[in-house]
Amino acid sequence: MATMIRSMENNREERFVVVHPLDDTPETKIDVESLGPMEMTRSVRISLLSLRAYLVLMMVLVLYHVLDLAKVFG
Amino acid sequence: MSNKCVMLPAAGLDARVEPVRGRSVKSKWARDLLTFLMVFGPGLIVMVADNDAGAVSTYSQAGAQYGTRLLWLVALLLPVTYFIQEMVVRLGIATGKGHAAMIYQRFGRWWGLFSLIDLELVNFLTLVTEFAAIDLALSKLGVDPRIGVPAAAVGLVLIAFTGSYRRWERTVVVLCLLDLAWFGIAYGLRPGAGELMRNALVPGVPAGGITADLMFLVIAIVGTTIAPWQLFFQQSCIADKRLRFADLKWARLDTLLGACVTVTVAGCMMIAGNASLAHGFHFSDPAQMALDLGTAAGGFFRNAILLLMINAAVLGTTAISLSSAWAYGEVRGWPHSLQLPVRKARGFYAVYLTCVAAAAGLVLIPRAPLQLIILGVQVLAGVMLPSAIIFLQLLLNDRELLGEFANKPWNNAVNWAIILVLFALSLILAAQVAAPKLFPGA
Repeated sequence: MATMIRSMENNREERFVVVHPLDDTPETKIDVESLGPMEMTRSVRISLLSLRAYLVLMMVLVLYHVLDLAKVFG
Repeated sequence: MSNKCVMLPAAGLDARVEPVRGRSVKSKWARDLLTFLMVFGPGLIVMVADNDAGAVSTYSQAGAQYGTRLLWLVALLLPVTYFIQEMVVRLGIATGKGHAAMIYQRFGRWWGLFSLIDLELVNFLTLVTEFAAIDLALSKLGVDPRIGVPAAAVGLVLIAFTGSYRRWERTVVVLCLLDLAWFGIAYGLRPGAGELMRNALVPGVPAGGITADLMFLVIAIVGTTIAPWQLFFQQSCIADKRLRFADLKWARLDTLLGACVTVTVAGCMMIAGNASLAHGFHFSDPAQMALDLGTAAGGFFRNAILLLMINAAVLGTTAISLSSAWAYGEVRGWPHSLQLPVRKARGFYAVYLTCVAAAAGLVLIPRAPLQLIILGVQVLAGVMLPSAIIFLQLLLNDRELLGEFANKPWNNAVNWAIILVLFALSLILAAQVAAPKLFPGA
């Protein structure tokens, strides 16, 4: 991490070195691969289930629209 | 944090350590300013690019139909758009990875592929609408679209194919700053200051009450201001720029600044539409509005609005195409960085090139089904937005992944409220598009 390096020069004047992220040394990040899939807690399961229900509803609406365009409902 | 950690170079880059290059400054004030300027970029770009061709059309239509009566809605969306994108900033900085990779790795192959395919599809259809806007604006400016559209596509490819993230970012930031010309247009066409302040600060329903048309426009404004590609774009952009933990507060400021710019520019577009209404013109599209305002207020307004329409479409195209290319590269495990030369990230650049070239080519086909494409964008965006935000919210509550960067209880309260409103609006929009007969009077 070298965003801001404070240094004291010989004349005791305080200086700051600012480094662009792309010029900096790579930073230590969380290793996502080693974590594997997310734990299916109750709230995660409910959220994903709601999402599936929402997607099914959307599919039904699109199907209705297609059938309506095909004049199936007269 | 107790998580396992890894030294992460920019996606696809070699992990070699190079000597750190920095700039030396004397004061803390100069240090903070310079750090902000170095971090600044992804937040501004994602927000300004969100005011793409579709947004110009939506906001100016809102102004042309309801004057400035819906300005309060745009102002209300400022904190909403900031809260959503701020979550992406935390996720990007903490993991150094893009949003698509995150969904794929944490929710598994099915949800990963679903998100990726939906994103790629809706992005491509949106790109077609961007090039359709370029086509329209160019023809109103007297430029042959058969020359202008391919020229725009070539320019869009060239700005991304430089092998330098910084070069791309600087070019795009300049294009973002051009968007500030909307302030000049709004100043020239402004209504009374009292009316503006009242309509921006006091929520109200336009004369005529709540109609199906008004609901559709309100949903379109919300959908235009918060788009799924923004989540994928900003997180990948932050990962590509290799923002560090210490950059978080500056990245948040960048995002807030971008949100302020995008919302005020959106208000300016609405003011332009309002001027069209005041002169009694019928709104059909923003290019026609520019021509109408040109006859009433002067040629400057005509040319400025048409050029800004092209600029908005160009910004939207580069950001959306990159979000597609980054997402595809992340999921496939290909090298995917603007820092890489084309020969080292062929797949990543090929996706970007394909998106731009195919969308531009489709627009040039005579009698292409543009209306069908716009309808497809609306339906798919309706499907995409709630699911993308659900994944975002779950990821931000993943303490195993984010540790101290995970959402706080107040974040969750605000975000779940936003999610519920977005869910309801997306459902109404999709239902209105898919089954218009369910809405009498629509």
